[in-house]
Amino acid sequence: MKLLLVEDDAALAAEIAKALRAENFALDHAVNGEDGQHLGETETYDAVVLDLGLPKRDGVSVLQAWRAAERTMPVLILTARDGWSDKVAGFKAGADDYLVKPFRVEELVIRLRALVRRASAHGANRIVCGPLTYDAGLGTFERDGLPLKLTGLEWRVLSCLILRKDGVVPRGQLIERVYDGDAEVDSNSVEVIITRLRRKIAPARIEGVRGHGYQLVPGEAP
Amino acid sequence: MTPPHPPHGPTPRGPAHAHRGSLQRRLILAAVVLVTVALVVAGVAIGFILHRFVRGQLDSRLDSQIVAIAASLERGRDGRLALGRNLDGPPFDRDRSGWSWQVRQGDAVLRSGSLEGRDLSVPEDDRRDDGGRHRDRPRPADGVDPWGNPVILRILALPNEGGAGPATIVASAPMAALHGPVREASLTLALILAVLGLCLLAGLVVQVRLGLRPLERLRRDLAEVRAGQRAQVPEKQPAEIRPLVREVNALLSENAANLERARTHVANLAHGLKTPLATLTMALQDGERDPDGRLATLVSGMDGQIRHHLRRARTAALDGATRERTALEAPVADLRSTFARLYAEKGIAFTVEVPDGIAVACDGQDVDEMLGNLIDNACRWCRARVRIAAALSERGVTVTVEDDGPGLDGDAAAGVLGRGKRLDETVPGHGFGLSITTELAELYGGSLRLDRGSFHGLRARLDLPA
Repeated sequence: MKLLLVEDDAALAAEIAKALRAENFALDHAVNGEDGQHLGETETYDAVVLDLGLPKRDGVSVLQAWRAAERTMPVLILTARDGWSDKVAGFKAGADDYLVKPFRVEELVIRLRALVRRASAHGANRIVCGPLTYDAGLGTFERDGLPLKLTGLEWRVLSCLILRKDGVVPRGQLIERVYDGDAEVDSNSVEVIITRLRRKIAPARIEGVRGHGYQLVPGEAP
Repeated sequence: MTPPHPPHGPTPRGPAHAHRGSLQRRLILAAVVLVTVALVVAGVAIGFILHRFVRGQLDSRLDSQIVAIAASLERGRDGRLALGRNLDGPPFDRDRSGWSWQVRQGDAVLRSGSLEGRDLSVPEDDRRDDGGRHRDRPRPADGVDPWGNPVILRILALPNEGGAGPATIVASAPMAALHGPVREASLTLALILAVLGLCLLAGLVVQVRLGLRPLERLRRDLAEVRAGQRAQVPEKQPAEIRPLVREVNALLSENAANLERARTHVANLAHGLKTPLATLTMALQDGERDPDGRLATLVSGMDGQIRHHLRRARTAALDGATRERTALEAPVADLRSTFARLYAEKGIAFTVEVPDGIAVACDGQDVDEMLGNLIDNACRWCRARVRIAAALSERGVTVTVEDDGPGLDGDAAAGVLGRGKRLDETVPGHGFGLSITTELAELYGGSLRLDRGSFHGLRARLDLPA
């Protein structure tokens, strides 16, 4: 799962980035409104963390621009002002949730996971696919009721697939959602991760759809 | 914490009023004094002229008698004085009437019948000798007739009448003939002047009232500004008041700008402090740096302090400022869609009953804050339904927010609304928002009541000035 963080304060951005990466999220970071708007309009993200007080372009207008360009990814706004007026302005511009500074990182992570789950149209917190269970609140996987140990990249790929288990996830989209913007992307590395995952999640399978992408399916091949 | 004082108290009238008095009273008092003095002066002047006129009439009557006597005066061979014709016509023939005449030349005397043979005493000519210029004209004098009644005299001294030495002709009229008509005319005059004075005063009172009416209108306009029914005093005013109104409006604009600036500073301060605090909070969650959570407590205490004092700064800036009017419809609709999204998982059924055009005399941000906290609380505790309604009441506007949650019972409700708690006791979450709402509502002279409504959950009723 990949997130965009738009935050001008370097120290806070570094803390948030550290915390989110520790939770296995892929993350792009923009330091001002203009860059943030550009990234949000051109890249694919599962969710965005948007500070409202930004240099060059304020958060509300960035958000309005995204919604005007029909970018529908869930957006969580960060605001320093805890009055309802600012929050309402954010929601009118198209925000999905808010946090008032200062906040605890657990709170941020829980809300981001909930936003991502809601955006992929899953009502319940636990998503099941055969022997696999994904807890969207905690961000953990279980296989046959036992915790599944995954690396960061494996988690990103598998969470992406299980949130879209009813369809095929295009290969390009999978790569976009797995790697940070500044990471070197080796076209074979996704293959390598998928191969490792197939071993860990059996009997659930990841089917490759030639020339298109991948789909997570619950059981044995017919 | 200073108790918030009601913003809609009575207009101050105390000592300033008593010291400077009423403009109207002052103008009317001045008019009364002026009119009275003018009428008294006019009355005295007219009385004097009247006196002179009547006296002039009497003098010429007496003078013509004297001239007639002088013309017909003759001296007999025996040296006695005689008149060529009878000049004892009325009123000189009436006994003791005061109307009389007398001619004296040496020892010879001639009198009108009215004197009954008594002597009319003639005062000495006390005029200085002005070269005989007025010798041929009668001189005036006041005297008494033989019975002691005051009379007006005209005296003509003839230097050498008929070659028999100097002669004196005197004619008299009773003083009553002067004073009677003058008194009668003066009475009528006084009556006319009094009526004129009353008419003038009534006119002046009307004029003062009319003249001061724009001030009364201005006072009402200002009261409306204070009550938040308008932002500025209308400039359609008389030329004398317009500069004052412009100044007041400039002051109002400046005040609003200052308020806005203060709010911007406050918001900037919040943003400036909160981002580093957020960084600190996150950095401290790395267990090694703050093993016992002591530093995290400090940081959250700092956050609480900032929130508390920012709120106080904002409400202090609000105190005494002019109120704007905020229509409720738009903010309620915005809040509803905000909370529908925030609590999307709960699928809350909102009922909104806010009539068109219903408005409160509160700042828009504060309306958001008060209603936001109430609706947030309702959404948090409801099972499925939240109702938001607004209606006009005798206290202004009553906004009702109720839910179908567990509700609060008497003591708990009082505890939630209780203010004056120490900061670290007011933990954000349930109740915290309600005490903010109470504080804000009281600042506007409103109130918040909690009870059980038709949904059987908590019903919050917020009274705000309209």
